Amino acid sequence: MKPLLLAVLAAYFVAAIHSILAFVNKRRALQRVCDLSLIVGFTLHTTALIADWVIDRRYPLLSLRETLSFLAWTVVAAYAVVLYRYGAYALGVIALPLVSLLTFVSIFLRTGPTIAVEQLSGSSGRWLFPLHTTLLTFAYAAFFVVFVSSVMYLLQERELKLKTFSAFFHRLPSLTTVNDISTTAATMGLTLLTLGIATGMLWSASRDGRLWHNDPKEVFALLTWLLYLGLLVYRSTARWRGRRAAWLGVLGFLLVIFTFLGPRLMDSYHVFG
Amino acid sequence: MAIVLIGVNHKTAPVEVRELLAFSEGALAAGLHQLVDGEILREGLIVSTCNRVEVLSTTGKDQLQQGTERIRDFLSRSHNIAGNSFSAHFYQHVDDQAVRHIFRVASSLDSMVVGEPQVLGQVRRAYSQAIEAGTAGRVLNRLVHHAFHVAKRVRSETGIAASAVSISYMAVELGKKIFRSLEGCSVLLIGAGEMAELSARHLMNAGVARVMVTNRTAAAAHRLARDFGGEAASFDALADHLAEADIIICSTAADGYVVTPEMAAAALNRRRNRPAFYIDISVPRNVDPAIGKLPNLFLFDIDDLESVITSNIREREHEAQRAELIVDSEVMQFEQALRALDIGPTLAALRQKLQDIARHELERQRSRLGQLSAEQENAIDALLVGTVNKISHPVLNHLRRSAGNGESIQAWREIFGLETPDGATAEDIDE
Repeated sequence: MKPLLLAVLAAYFVAAIHSILAFVNKRRALQRVCDLSLIVGFTLHTTALIADWVIDRRYPLLSLRETLSFLAWTVVAAYAVVLYRYGAYALGVIALPLVSLLTFVSIFLRTGPTIAVEQLSGSSGRWLFPLHTTLLTFAYAAFFVVFVSSVMYLLQERELKLKTFSAFFHRLPSLTTVNDISTTAATMGLTLLTLGIATGMLWSASRDGRLWHNDPKEVFALLTWLLYLGLLVYRSTARWRGRRAAWLGVLGFLLVIFTFLGPRLMDSYHVFG
Repeated sequence: MAIVLIGVNHKTAPVEVRELLAFSEGALAAGLHQLVDGEILREGLIVSTCNRVEVLSTTGKDQLQQGTERIRDFLSRSHNIAGNSFSAHFYQHVDDQAVRHIFRVASSLDSMVVGEPQVLGQVRRAYSQAIEAGTAGRVLNRLVHHAFHVAKRVRSETGIAASAVSISYMAVELGKKIFRSLEGCSVLLIGAGEMAELSARHLMNAGVARVMVTNRTAAAAHRLARDFGGEAASFDALADHLAEADIIICSTAADGYVVTPEMAAAALNRRRNRPAFYIDISVPRNVDPAIGKLPNLFLFDIDDLESVITSNIREREHEAQRAELIVDSEVMQFEQALRALDIGPTLAALRQKLQDIARHELERQRSRLGQLSAEQENAIDALLVGTVNKISHPVLNHLRRSAGNGESIQAWREIFGLETPDGATAEDIDE
């Protein structure tokens, strides 16, 4: 699988570089190169993921290596959706380097699966666990989109308030656009997170009969869930539109990163995803 | 063949000089006919705007001196100006410098406000007038079309015209930055000044759905509303209208604040915190600057707008440097295309020359051949021409391929003793 993944990495890398160049130089030709290599990379990546699944008969979301690779895939998918819906190319400037980095790490990180396959062979676990991890990975990608659009909102809002415009200003999508992206992505992210937590609980219940273990990861996931719920509720009551909502979007993502990686530092049986 | 450009612009001549030299719409055609004599000056184009008067023409390489004098004469005589009184203001460019200049003019790099879009239209109009007058020929056609191409490239590949440099357009640009699209937005005009009206018109062109106009005197509000196709709103209910409008342009003659923080905050609340964009173009200011601190509200007063415009102009000048690189490479490409244009007459002249040699030799030997039938005569002619063409074919082909290389064309011309492209013979054959 390695040559295929290296090709994926190369395509993502080319896309990332051209996305940045297109952003800086405002050249449509460069953006086209970016789009094309992204399509190539995404197609190859999808092939690699399916091949992993079919050949190894193992859902590709067990080790950190596989999770990172899949996370990169979901971020590309999320970026594609944002492009299609809002044409917000600027997102790629942050998203695509991240995708390249995730792919790079996933290729060169050497760890075997850390969850024994036998653990999953319980009656309902076979499909609940992959569903749990998949939903959460997509949720992370959505929260990443919230984060980037929130940052873009804050940058522009600040410049509009100070009335001094940097080179960024003309290259970013309008306030309304990034606000819409952020709201839509937060709604999707929260839905996925809710389903992800629910399937995790069901899986846990089917394994040892307990819904909740007070595991650090579970606690942080709950905090994350509350934060995004708060963000959406406030947004819908229109009390926290704009800057304060954007700050929540940034804060929420920091919590997401911590939920994703933090529990490894503490004693948690949840390791990834 | 040489391209010559002589003119004045806002950098070299004050407005008093420019207005003396300018051509009115009606005088242009006559001017073009007067300029182009077909002998010294073969083609002509005159760009005459408030910022520049430029004469672009083509002449023979060896007639350059006469050509430029003729253009200078023409400029003085057609405006009844004595001799050389303005010659210090004129600039003169030849060949690649002239090409570069007209490319820069069309791309708005030579404009007072770099990147302004009008100049391209002015060049386009000058060109169509030259076509009507019949003074745009082979070279100018190519040159002007190439200039349009360069202008298009500069516009799409650099940010030279990306940012607003006028207050009225600034409102549109900032509005788009806040609301994504102005379609569906509503505008409230409080009071009216020239600037406010202009801004409102720009906003309407950009697609705002609704314009409300309010004024202390209801009659004035009604009059303006009629002008804009908008609706008049009562001044007493200003607080209500603030909540309905996304963009508020304020320009009254009032001494104090017409919009207070309390009013703006209440309006925001009723708008459920949807963003609002306030533009205060009145002096003294009519919108309390304190409202700029409210969340989701963006306030720009006239000084803010002016300072943004200053920085946008700097940004444009920065982008102009990138545009110059595009112009450089396009000048080179045009020079190449022009040399390829020169090759046509050379090839025709060369073929003619070789056939002439063959026919000449035939004539010398003709008497020895005795009586021949018409058919035989034709056969001999076909034999000669066919042989000459077959032999010269690879040579001509090679020449055509190396058309970009002016030196080799010149070398071939010299080898066969053809006149230079400026001589009448070669060109006459082509045309």
